[in-house]
Amino acid sequence: MIRNYFKTAFRNLWMNKAFSVINIVGLSVALACCMLILLYNMDEISYDRFNANANNIYRLVVNETSPTGVENKMSITGSISGPTFKQQIPELEEFVRIKNDYLTVKHGNDVFNEDVLFADSNFFSVFTAPLKSGSYKNILNGVNSIVLSEDIAKKYFGEQNPIGKSLEIKVENIFKPFMVTAVTKASPQNSSIKIKMLLPYKASGSYNETQWLNFHLNTFFKIRYGADLNRLEAKMATVYNNEAKSQIQEAAEKYGNKDKIHYILQPLLAIHNSMEYPAVNGLASSINPIFSYILGGMALFILIIACINFVNLTLAQSLKRVKEIGIRKVVGGGRMQLVVQFLGESYILTFIAFLLGIILVQLVLPIFNSLSNKALSFSYLLSVKLIVSYTLVMLFTGLFAGFYPALLLSGFNPVQALYQRQKFTGKNYLSKSLVVLQFTLATFFIISTITIYYQFDFLTHFDLGYNDKNVVSIKTFNTDKKLYQVFKTELLKNPNIKMVTADQGGRESMIAKINNGEQIDFDVKQVDEDYLPLFQIPVVKGRNFSKIMVTDSLNSIMVNETFANMAGWKNPIGKVVDFFYIHKKFTVIGVVKDYHLGDLNQKIPSELLRMKPDNDWGNLFVKINEQNKTASLNYIEGTFKRLFVFKPYEHSFKDAENADQYEAEAKWKQIITISATLTIFISCIGLFGLATLSAEKRKKEIGIRKVLGASVELIIRKLSVDFLKLVMLATIIATPIAWWAMHSWLENYPYRISINSWIFLFAIGFVLLIAFLTVCYHAVKAAIANPVNSLRSE
Amino acid sequence: MLSLKNISKYYQIGGNKSFVLNNVSLEVEEGEFVSIMGPSGSGKSTLLNIIGMLDEPSEGYHYFAGNAVHQLKEKQRAALYKQYVGFVFQAYHLIDELTVYENIETPLIYQNYSGSDRKAIVADMLDRFQIVGKKDLFPAQLSGGQQQLVGIARALITKPKLILADEPTGNLNSKQGIEIMELFAKLNKEDKVTIIQVTHSEKNAGYGSRIINLLDGKIDSSIKL
Repeated sequence: MIRNYFKTAFRNLWMNKAFSVINIVGLSVALACCMLILLYNMDEISYDRFNANANNIYRLVVNETSPTGVENKMSITGSISGPTFKQQIPELEEFVRIKNDYLTVKHGNDVFNEDVLFADSNFFSVFTAPLKSGSYKNILNGVNSIVLSEDIAKKYFGEQNPIGKSLEIKVENIFKPFMVTAVTKASPQNSSIKIKMLLPYKASGSYNETQWLNFHLNTFFKIRYGADLNRLEAKMATVYNNEAKSQIQEAAEKYGNKDKIHYILQPLLAIHNSMEYPAVNGLASSINPIFSYILGGMALFILIIACINFVNLTLAQSLKRVKEIGIRKVVGGGRMQLVVQFLGESYILTFIAFLLGIILVQLVLPIFNSLSNKALSFSYLLSVKLIVSYTLVMLFTGLFAGFYPALLLSGFNPVQALYQRQKFTGKNYLSKSLVVLQFTLATFFIISTITIYYQFDFLTHFDLGYNDKNVVSIKTFNTDKKLYQVFKTELLKNPNIKMVTADQGGRESMIAKINNGEQIDFDVKQVDEDYLPLFQIPVVKGRNFSKIMVTDSLNSIMVNETFANMAGWKNPIGKVVDFFYIHKKFTVIGVVKDYHLGDLNQKIPSELLRMKPDNDWGNLFVKINEQNKTASLNYIEGTFKRLFVFKPYEHSFKDAENADQYEAEAKWKQIITISATLTIFISCIGLFGLATLSAEKRKKEIGIRKVLGASVELIIRKLSVDFLKLVMLATIIATPIAWWAMHSWLENYPYRISINSWIFLFAIGFVLLIAFLTVCYHAVKAAIANPVNSLRSE
Repeated sequence: MLSLKNISKYYQIGGNKSFVLNNVSLEVEEGEFVSIMGPSGSGKSTLLNIIGMLDEPSEGYHYFAGNAVHQLKEKQRAALYKQYVGFVFQAYHLIDELTVYENIETPLIYQNYSGSDRKAIVADMLDRFQIVGKKDLFPAQLSGGQQQLVGIARALITKPKLILADEPTGNLNSKQGIEIMELFAKLNKEDKVTIIQVTHSEKNAGYGSRIINLLDGKIDSSIKL
């Protein structure tokens, strides 16, 4: 019986090749999307789960509440909280602190900057990290021990056995030898903690720090199985209030910091998708779970659209199968038997599409990985769960696509079917609404795509308020200020190098008092006198720093317009800013026009510029000529390496750095473009199929009309207008939804485009045009056909 | 074998009833060969479909093999139908996508015969109708007469007690028509299959044991031959 069903199903698929192809292509693309997204979500859910202690590991996080009730959530703590809590609360069995750093590593003549992690020596008894060589015994015990990942070991030692060999690492400004005690296997891709170089926390400068209110590292606890979290948090509050009493008092009296600190335990498994307490300071960044939902939603939409094609084409085609259904019933086929047959056909089709989908997934996985910043593969995610969910997706799809047609077709009355009295009663509202649904989704995606492109263009072409062209930015830190002067002089000897400047590197926030003791928050930027001219940032009031004025580096500052506005200064020149905690006052000598050095996802902060008086420099900037760029770059690199012997040279162009800030947007742009392309493609092949059938059904009518003198245009209009009405309705429905969605999305950006009606008009026009072209093919074919042929065949 | 009492079939058009069958009563004994005749639109096919339980009357009582059909549920009717009735059509109504062999096999599939049983039964049937050589052909590759042979073979495959034939020779030339009618006569005589056929041809009607003339939905005459 099954074999007979298979045979008919395959012959039917074969006889209606065009529709089978449409269905299979649509379904396989849609299923591939679903499978990819399932892989993605599987990976997200599996984060950190491989740890044997996963359910008992918690991270210590902090809620900081200001006296005015503003709550600040922090994922990091100080150095002291781990050991103190463990000592006084027995349910906390172990603590591990993990601190990240970016250090210079020397091996022979090679010098590199590396991301490293410092961790307490019991790291390997709390977290699961298999070793490739070496042993867990005394693994991080010595102050000079180091654990490498297999990649890093290979980078420095090639094929040699690295155990017992040493690397020189610059910790606290001094190169010290570290001996390799073990090599770990590569950390799983779904691990928040990715080991490259693991150093004992003892070797870090902050190891003995006793400050509670200085937050800079991740503290993990392994807690006793079954311990009550609420009670633990209450105990921690008591311990904190006892132990940190004097520090809390000092902070309030000396710095005016009266914030309340509350410690919370966050499960390890919650870190990866937490937006409240994200993974920071050396952990693989958290991903907003909304990404999973959005991607899942898109995949589901695409699948629905493909299923709609199946339903619509099957219904439209069923006219042809009326006779077969009638016969089957007359020779004794029961309704259930027919339902099984039709469902079987939809499952065969779905199964073929499913197999093709798997192949498709394998093919596009590399592209998808680069888009989603992941390294997904079947190999490590293959699990019973994945297989079950894939199977479920397939079963659901087959049912969703086949159920309604099966029910409808099996319900035909055999007498009416065989005497050709079977009519499609009603106006086929279902088919029509399904087409509308498809094109609503397609229009929605297209409007979204255009808006996202437009916003992206807006962000990347925004006038930043400074010139980032031809500026080489050299990332470094702790650059000696005397050496910097030599570097600058050397570089300026080259006629292709126009200017050289530096800042302190990184972002520094501060508070100070202005006017009559009012507090103001701002960013501090330490620069030299060439900073503003190099970036061509205009000084709107007063003057720039000057090398000649000795007082400038001692007590002069500049502020940006935002700062001046926030301070409420009409004439800022000569105003005083009081850095009360270091007992120093500075005088404003100039105001700079607001400029966006950071990305546009934030408003311009109030900023205060100082001429760097004593400390070392951070980033260096070199403005070069448009011509001879390569020669200039070589010259800069040569000079740098000659002067800064053990510093790695890392450079980039400032304008490229700026463009890179919108990587997330660029990826969304690609994802939404792909979704839009797929939805419009699948919707259109569906529409194409429907138009084919409709033209076939109306062949005779068209023949009669032509004989009666209808023109070709008239017939084309007649045939396409019905479909276009549906598509038009879809665009009308999609517009407000898309407007709302895009409006909400744009709200996230402080600098954004306003939604224009042309976006909608363009999208609607585009969808209508595509739909028209799709339908047109058949309309034209039918309209220019010789009516004699179609009438004679009747 | 079956009996119809005061059977009517009508369609409501506006306020009026348009009768296809009007108060028809009819008895058919087992082993009869009945021919239903009458002009187009007199209700012949409808009567046949009602007898075959493919169509339901608007009014009246219908007994079939001792069952009150008008009281049965859809499922029970279908079971009764499956057990007793085979249909033959003017337009053959073979499934175009299936071969001769598969077309004949289909009713057995719906009656849940096992694969080996089906093979044997279909092979017998092919033999009997001498169409073994054509078993792998598709309907489109056969002549009209051959297609109708396949149609009859399919109707007989489940050994029905009653064959209902709606103008079985209507699309055939006279030589093919005679062959089919002789086959029916033989089935009636040798296998004791009850046959009810609708026909326009006096000559074909002559193969039967009784002729019923329908006119405007009523039985005009019933003549035993």
